[in-house]
Amino acid sequence: MGKYLRCFTLFFICMCLLTGCWDRRELEERASVLAIAIDQAEEDENLFKMTVQIPIPIKIAGSSGQGGGSNADAVKIMSATGRTVTDATNNLQMRLNQRLFLGHTRVLALSEEIAKEGIHDIMDSFRREPQIRRLLWPIVVKGKASTLLEIKPGLEQIPVVFLMGLIENGMKLGRIPDQTLGDYFNQTSNVTMEPFLNYVEATKKEVSWKGVAVFRGNKMVGILNRVQSWALIQLRNEKPGGDIVIPLPNTKKGYVSFRPHFVKKKLMIQEQGDTKSKGSESFSATYHCELQGDIVELTEDLKIPPEQFIVQMQALIKKEMEERAKKLLLQLQKQYNSDILKLGLTLRAKHYHEYWKKHNWKEDFRDFPVRVKYTIKLRRLGMEMQ
Amino acid sequence: MSRNEGHSWHQNLSMWQQICLMTSTLIGVGVLTLPRTTSSKLFEAGWIAPLIGSAGAFVSLWLIVKLSKRYPGETFIEYSHKVWGSASRPWVGKVFSLPWISIYLVYLYFSTAIVSRVFGEVVVTSVLWQTPLEAMLLTMFLLIFFLCMHEVEVVARVNELLFPFIILPLLFIALASFQKAEFGNLLPINHVSIRSMAEGVYEGIYSYSGFEIMFVFFAYAQKNTNKELAGFYSLLIAALLYMLIVVAGISVFGYEELQRVTWPTLELVKTTQVPGFILERLESAFLAVWVSAVFTTVANAFYVVVYSLRQLFRKGIWFQRIMAAVLLVPLFYFSLIPQNIPEVFQVASLLGLSSLFINLLIPVVYWVVILIRDMMSKREEKDVDG
Repeated sequence: MGKYLRCFTLFFICMCLLTGCWDRRELEERASVLAIAIDQAEEDENLFKMTVQIPIPIKIAGSSGQGGGSNADAVKIMSATGRTVTDATNNLQMRLNQRLFLGHTRVLALSEEIAKEGIHDIMDSFRREPQIRRLLWPIVVKGKASTLLEIKPGLEQIPVVFLMGLIENGMKLGRIPDQTLGDYFNQTSNVTMEPFLNYVEATKKEVSWKGVAVFRGNKMVGILNRVQSWALIQLRNEKPGGDIVIPLPNTKKGYVSFRPHFVKKKLMIQEQGDTKSKGSESFSATYHCELQGDIVELTEDLKIPPEQFIVQMQALIKKEMEERAKKLLLQLQKQYNSDILKLGLTLRAKHYHEYWKKHNWKEDFRDFPVRVKYTIKLRRLGMEMQ
Repeated sequence: MSRNEGHSWHQNLSMWQQICLMTSTLIGVGVLTLPRTTSSKLFEAGWIAPLIGSAGAFVSLWLIVKLSKRYPGETFIEYSHKVWGSASRPWVGKVFSLPWISIYLVYLYFSTAIVSRVFGEVVVTSVLWQTPLEAMLLTMFLLIFFLCMHEVEVVARVNELLFPFIILPLLFIALASFQKAEFGNLLPINHVSIRSMAEGVYEGIYSYSGFEIMFVFFAYAQKNTNKELAGFYSLLIAALLYMLIVVAGISVFGYEELQRVTWPTLELVKTTQVPGFILERLESAFLAVWVSAVFTTVANAFYVVVYSLRQLFRKGIWFQRIMAAVLLVPLFYFSLIPQNIPEVFQVASLLGLSSLFINLLIPVVYWVVILIRDMMSKREEKDVDG
């Protein structure tokens, strides 16, 4: 009798405790948003238009030979307007049969127009929402942000997966900076630096990385093109950036292409001699940047011995890179006045009492003397002897 | 067996068990907010706070060890009336020790309530949005009740068992997040004033509340173990872990951003990228393991409350079980008193302040009383001799 009672009690307790997740939702019971795009509504300036991309699980066929062309159906693209992001989300929810789930969002596309007006109000809901991952990629899109979600790349069934691949691959190659939402939040909060985001352009069929969008506070102030962005990520992230193609001097159509593999950066901050008489105006910064890489292309034979060729090319690339860096700094300082180089961080860390306390970096970055010195180490010439 | 009075059974907590008991009680919900609270006053140098705080905590712990060494095998409840009373009139000791014992127990009781509340808040805001807070509290209290059914030895073993589940995830998170660290955020360390230094250290000290449970548990330590050393090791483990977490938090987010996030350590988990994306959403896994850290904190404190009551009334294990069940009911309502998150934090910091007060005051007052008594008894001896 006692044994039966014990068995029964055990059974009863198990029934109570092993009920599982009472509020579980199966994967197909939720509308997982993969990407969000935010635009200004066409009809009303005060409204946001939010576009989401939701994959349709049944249509995503990994094995069944659906072939190309059907990828248009693999995702559902919907948009809704609202006064705020949450308002727009609610309006969208009213048109869906499943609950919206933002936990899988990987891309947040912002239109250039909205970014230029400032995205402080948009970002607030993304900061608060616990579902949102700090590792997602916010991207500024030229023109309308929704075009980024509507691309039909053909190579992938889901456009966002294609876009993610593009960014991830670029990151691995060191050509596209890894700028996540968390980084953006940190950089806006941090008083020593300004944020930036990746900038892309989307057409009907494809998407291409155009450079970075420079922010000042929460407002986009301009863009850096590809070449300058690569100079930026060399100086900021120690990533190599893309190939450098330079016209050969004294030739008609000769070009040389240099592929950097390794970057080493050293930021030196100098205090020039008479600190006392001139106050703290005598600080200056020098970036020493070392690039190691190969020649990958040379379209015209220069007919000089390899030893001399290396020396000549190193000088040529050095000159080109320093010019690019100079242009970058000119644009960042004079035009945008935005320290996305994180120069202020080093200044605050190392020269807090002498410099940082006496200056307002947000304004003084403009006139801070910065120099960039490149050292090019040309290692190999590819499979060719010269 | 059921009517024994506590210290009559053998003293068998090994040194390792003492360390586990202390460390796992120290590390609780505080870890989730620690980077924010310490850097709110100390800015970049927030990691100093847990280090200095541990020194303050050690002084208090050392006094507790000395008390328990003077009255070997007796808990705070048992030796209190010996400290306050005299041999001829035992009721004096009982009356005078009662306020101290009740302060101690009331403090532990309410700390149980608020820690479980903070735990519930974290889970409800970050992973289980649909689950009512009450359900979280109830399950936690059921677990606590289950632990309170048993003797001290079981508590020690449970702590020993859960110890790795508390230490390892935190260590992993702290170390893994360094891949995103920006070490410039940790400098300069010398720009805080003495005043804010003091305030910051105060924040640090109260992250160490929890070792006061050793007022009771030291009585059951094995006779030949070095209790000072056990206390030193457990504070050292906690201090290093705290420091790592704070350094990780500041270097990843920067102190400005830290002030804006509610649960910095949880955000740290969210930004940590596990190579290969084996676990996409690490925070759920982290919270699941972290339940054990909270459980040991809450359950140990509550166990001390009911165990002390059992000793106070000189009753057996059944009294303890009934007391646990009875006391958990009002605890549930107490933990629901704070109406919103800012109120929860307010109460939590108030509790931290009182822990600082209690942990330092009780041992110091007790030692002063003991020293005065020693002097008086010496004088009496002298009188007798002379």
